[in-house]
Amino acid sequence: MNLEKVIFAFFIILALSLNFSFFVGEIADPTHHHPYELYAALIVSLICTVMKFGDRTQFGSTVLASSLVVDLLLIAAAVTWGVSSLGQDTTSPATMATVTSLAGGALIANLLSVVLLIIETGQIRK
Amino acid sequence: MSDIFFLVLRRLRTPLILLVSTYAIATLGMTLIPGIDPDGNPWRMSFFHAFYFVSFMGTTIGFGEIPYAFTDAQRAWVLVCIYTSVIAWLYGIGTMLRLVQDETFRNAVAQRAFKLSIQRIHRPFHIICGYGETGQLITRGLSELGIQAVIIDLNSERLHSLELEELAIPAIVLTGDITEPNNLVAAGINHPRCRGVIAVTQDDHTNLQIAVASKLVNPEIAVICRSEIQDEADNMASFGTDAIINPYLTFGRRLSLLSNNPALYRIHNWFINQHSPEHINRRITHQGLPSGNWVICGYGRFGKAVEHYIANTNSPGPDGVTITIVDIDPEAKNAPEGSIQGRGTEAKTLIAAGIERASVIVAASDDDANNLSILITAKQLNKNLISIGRVNKEANHTLFLHSGCDYVMRRSQVVANEVLTNISRPLVSKFLQYSSSLSSSDTEELITKICELTNNGDPVTWRLVIDHDNAPALVRFVDRERSLTVADISHNEALPRTSSIPLLLLRGGMSHLLPSPDMPLKINDEILLCGPRNQTLLAQKLRDNVELVDTLVNNNPHHIPILRWRRRQKEQ
Repeated sequence: MNLEKVIFAFFIILALSLNFSFFVGEIADPTHHHPYELYAALIVSLICTVMKFGDRTQFGSTVLASSLVVDLLLIAAAVTWGVSSLGQDTTSPATMATVTSLAGGALIANLLSVVLLIIETGQIRK
Repeated sequence: MSDIFFLVLRRLRTPLILLVSTYAIATLGMTLIPGIDPDGNPWRMSFFHAFYFVSFMGTTIGFGEIPYAFTDAQRAWVLVCIYTSVIAWLYGIGTMLRLVQDETFRNAVAQRAFKLSIQRIHRPFHIICGYGETGQLITRGLSELGIQAVIIDLNSERLHSLELEELAIPAIVLTGDITEPNNLVAAGINHPRCRGVIAVTQDDHTNLQIAVASKLVNPEIAVICRSEIQDEADNMASFGTDAIINPYLTFGRRLSLLSNNPALYRIHNWFINQHSPEHINRRITHQGLPSGNWVICGYGRFGKAVEHYIANTNSPGPDGVTITIVDIDPEAKNAPEGSIQGRGTEAKTLIAAGIERASVIVAASDDDANNLSILITAKQLNKNLISIGRVNKEANHTLFLHSGCDYVMRRSQVVANEVLTNISRPLVSKFLQYSSSLSSSDTEELITKICELTNNGDPVTWRLVIDHDNAPALVRFVDRERSLTVADISHNEALPRTSSIPLLLLRGGMSHLLPSPDMPLKINDEILLCGPRNQTLLAQKLRDNVELVDTLVNNNPHHIPILRWRRRQKEQ
């Protein structure tokens, strides 16, 4: 067992889980999507990205790329949410729908990272 | 680039994760801790405000408590955040600075820079292995010739001295082990513009390794080696090393030439030592070395080389040369019978060797102090002695000049001049090779001509290739089936100061030594000319100047362009 691998797998799966828990729910209903979930998903994804910095293997660079996609989409979601709710307490359904769909995009990329992780683990067994 | 980039990213992993976590926790805390607005209502910071606050707090800019004054609970959290974020930043910056000073990082940056500069070379270049005294002289010479040098040496201190040299073409430098073939490849041995590898380290075996590696990696490349041991030299020659230069044998050959045919020696000396002239007494260059009794102190590689050449080319006996060897251990070194035991630094030994009747003393030991002592003592015992001294450490050569030594042998200079002649002046090498067939009267005549031309100064050589790239004007002229003779390009009464002497004409692999003036030139001929230093030769002016060729060679007398043109048309 390699501690570094465990930590990395932990973060990458955590990113997927958090992303999903934010995404799940009625797409335009602000009560179904909590900002803290988005925040946690973004931070964990950022940490995943940094953990893959400087990895020159084929696997490492693909995971880095998909993790960068996640960052990009989640930051876009957070910025959209933050900017459109400036000066008002509630979130409009339209904004909520945009944020949720961006997070949905990020979910796909996160899923890809986890699949890559599983493939790599499988290769090691052989 | 990618190497450096990945290295930086890899090293920055921990500090970046630390920074992201610190900021994340601080921001989260700010949004979670309830505050009170001026009206007394509880409120919570939004993520936007929290991130804004943490950003300026973390960088210690500190705009104050916004949008409302904080509660005590918020202040307590901010206090924790300030210290953790400052530590995270310090750690990050510290890691960055350490990385910049890191040996691995610097090597990666230096190698990257080296690789880029090799890729960008757009002129022919030579790889010099070993930047010692010889390497230094060769680098200077190449720079004067407009040839790029790429230097590999293990000793970075010696390479630093290169930065102080004011070279016209700065050399590209790699600090690394030359015997590693990877370094040769990195230095561009497979580069299309690489012309050759010059192995001039102190160690023969290293030079041999370089030669083997170069020939294996790129069989096309020319390899020039310095070698002082015959075994290694034979080994180098066995797999096709293009030139092997042994400073002792080269110098021995020069001495034998000097004692047998001083005129030819003078020509060699002029043309080989164009870059750094050797120190030699003018009297000797004119009269040559006398026969009689020679005393050689030190029977090492140099002493043996001198003895070998002098004994083989001069007849022994009263009219020829008798050689007396002085060595500390003559038997161990297989010295000929009658050798004197001793250093030669003390008068007793020298007198025993017959210094008072001798004509030449050669201080050939491998110790500069001993050599100087031998020269000075010998001169005191016999004023008319001609002294030849071997310099072992380049820095000491000024001492030999002060000691009044008549001919100073500097190993590195001998090798450097040979190497430069070999790579930059192929026609000069050919000329010198064939010049031994010249009779002494021809040689004398040539010397007189050169001296007249240069006003007794040192001549320089120049090569003219008659082809489209190098001499377009002359090619156009020859293309119209006009006869262009050697005399046409070497001398013209209208421009007397630009005259030169044709030394060699190379046509289709055949060399014509001292071509006669009325010999017609053809396309693709190569001709070696010699003229005064710092003077543009007639051939240099003519090669790309169509009008000048028309006036001087074609004897077009008109000055007005249209008349000149008409006359040209009429002739065709």
